[in-house]
Amino acid sequence: MASKPVLTPKLIVRTLLFGAIVIALAVLPALIDSYTLRIATGALMWAGLACAWNIVGGYAGYISFGHSAFFGIGAYTTAILMQSNIGASFFVTLLPAILLSIAVAVVIGGPTMRLRGAYFAIATWAFAEMLMQLVTVLDFTGGTAGLSLPAYLNEFFFYYIMLIASAASFIGVWLLIERSRFGFRIKALRDDEPAAESLGIRTNLVKVQSFALSAAITALFGSIYAYWTTYIDPHSVMGPEITDQMVVMVLLGGLGTVWGPALGAVLLWITNRYIWSTFGDTVIYLPVLGIIIALVVLFLPNGLISLIVGRQRGKELISRILGKL
Amino acid sequence: MDLFLQTLVNGILIGGILICLTIGFQLTFGVLHVIDFAVGGWTMLGGYTAYWLVTLAGIDPFISIFLVFALFLLIGRGLGPLIYHVRTSRYARPDLMALAFTFGIFLFMRGGALWLWSYNSRSVDSVLSGQFLSLGPVTIPLMRLSAFILAMMFSLGLFILLYRSRFGMAVRALAQNHDHAGLMGVDVKRVSAWVYGIYTALTASAGVLIATIYSVNPSVGIRYTLFAFFVAVLAGLGSVGGVLVAGLALGLLEAYVATYIGARYSLLIVFGTLYLVLLVAPKGVLGRGI
Repeated sequence: MASKPVLTPKLIVRTLLFGAIVIALAVLPALIDSYTLRIATGALMWAGLACAWNIVGGYAGYISFGHSAFFGIGAYTTAILMQSNIGASFFVTLLPAILLSIAVAVVIGGPTMRLRGAYFAIATWAFAEMLMQLVTVLDFTGGTAGLSLPAYLNEFFFYYIMLIASAASFIGVWLLIERSRFGFRIKALRDDEPAAESLGIRTNLVKVQSFALSAAITALFGSIYAYWTTYIDPHSVMGPEITDQMVVMVLLGGLGTVWGPALGAVLLWITNRYIWSTFGDTVIYLPVLGIIIALVVLFLPNGLISLIVGRQRGKELISRILGKL
Repeated sequence: MDLFLQTLVNGILIGGILICLTIGFQLTFGVLHVIDFAVGGWTMLGGYTAYWLVTLAGIDPFISIFLVFALFLLIGRGLGPLIYHVRTSRYARPDLMALAFTFGIFLFMRGGALWLWSYNSRSVDSVLSGQFLSLGPVTIPLMRLSAFILAMMFSLGLFILLYRSRFGMAVRALAQNHDHAGLMGVDVKRVSAWVYGIYTALTASAGVLIATIYSVNPSVGIRYTLFAFFVAVLAGLGSVGGVLVAGLALGLLEAYVATYIGARYSLLIVFGTLYLVLLVAPKGVLGRGI
C-alpha cells in the first residue's frame, strides 16, 4: 500500500525473526537423529497444511471440512504419474498436481462458496467424502488397495523440500494477505460480506481465488507426502483425519493469524508423536484432539496466539499469571 | 418386479430409521440454531451401548433401547447448557464456534470409540434375528420391521410432545424467537437443554436400531452424520415435518442404488447427491420452520 511506509521497524524485526527461524531450521538436521528428523519433517508439513487451511477457514471465514480432497488430489496425481508405465520424475509431477487442484477448486469453489457457514462446511465435507468414495471405486487409483511409489530413502531431501514448501507458503500468505489489497478484500469478505460487495469488491472472485490458493498449497504438500511415505491409499491421504487435524491445528493456534497455524500445528504434531511413542498407537490422539477443540472454543476462542501476541485478553491473562509468580 | 418391490420395502424400512435419526437433529437446529456435527457420534454411541447391554447384561435390544433413550436423555441434558453457552456467546461468529465445538465432541466420541472398541464391527442380536415375514413376493426380516415400527413410535412421540404439551408449546415458541419466549416466562436455557437431551436420546435410539440391522464400528459416525445432513438439507434445515419425506427419500435412494448399481457405489452416489442438493437448493426442497 502506498500510504504505508515500506520498511517499518516492526517489519524489519519480523523479517529478521522469520529469517532466523528458517536458518535455525535449515541447520537443524545436522544436530538431530533420523527419528527426530522425521518428526520435524512432519511438523513442517502440518504447519504448511494449517497455513493453507487458514486462508479459507481463518481469513475468509469459511470453515472447510473438505481439504483432505485436495491433499488427496496432490498425492494421487504424483503417485499415478510416478507409476512405472508413465515414470515421471517427482518434480515434474508437482505442476500437474497443483494445476489439477486449482482446477477442481475453481470448479467446485464457485458454487460451493455461495453457501454460508454450516452449509458450506457440510457441502465441502460431502464433496471430500464423495471424492474419497470415487477414488475407492476407480481402477487407475488402485481402489482400496492403494498405490506404491518408487522409494527414495533420503530423509534430508524430504526435510528440506518440506522446509522450502512450508516457508514459501508462509511468506506467500503473509505477502498476499497481510501486505496486499487481496488481503484487505478477503478480510472485508469475512467481516461483512454484503458491505464488502457494496464497496465494489467482487466477493465471488475473491472467494474462489482464496479457495484455489489454499487448495494449491494443500495439494503441494499432498504430493510431497505421497513421495515421502511411498505408499498411499484412499484413507491415508483422503480420510477425514487429514482435515480434522488441519481444522484443530488452526483453531488451537489462532484463526486468521499468520503464526497461529504454525504454532498449533507444531504443538499438536509433537503431541501426536509423543502419544504414538508412549502408547504405541495414535488412536488416543483423536479424543485428545476433540477435547482440545472443545476447550479452545469454550475458553480460548482466539487461539493460543492470543496469549502471546498483544490481544487484550492475552495481555490480561499473562499479567495475571505473572502477577502470581 | 419382485426385486423392485423388495427394494422398495427395504428402502422404506431404512427410511423410517433415518427419520428417527434426523428428527431430533432438526429440532435442535430449529430451537438452538446449532448444526450438530456430532449427530453420527450419538448414533454410534447408542449402538455400542446396546451392544454392551446385550453382551454384559443380556438385555434384548428392543428393551435396552428404552434404557439407551433414558441414558442419553440425561447425557444430552447435561451437555445442553454448554452448547447453549457457546451458541449465545459473544464470539465474532458464534454459529461457527458452535459448529467447531460439536465437531470437537464428535472427534472425541469417534476417537474414544476407536480406542475402546478398535476398528472391529459389532452387531447386536435379538430374539427376532433371523425371522422373516413373507408377503407375496416380498420377504421382510422381522428385525427391520420392528425397528421401523419403533422408529415411527419415537418420531410420533416427538410430534405429540411438540404439538400437544406445554413443553412443546415452549419449544415452538423458542423456535420462533428466544427473546420473546423468554419474556413470556419460558426458561430459555432449560428448555434448550432439554431439547438437546431429547435430540441425543432420539439419535442414540436410532443407533440401537441401526446396530440391530447392520453393525456398529467407529467409522459409522461419519456415515450417519452425513446421512443426517442429507435428510436435514433435503427437508430444509429446521423443518421437522419435511424429515418424514426426506428420510424415506434417502432410504429409497440408498436401497435402489445398492440393488441396481452396486453397494460399493451407494455412498458415492448418496454423498454426490447431497452435494448437488446443497448447491441447487441449500434452503431445502420440502419446507421450512418447525
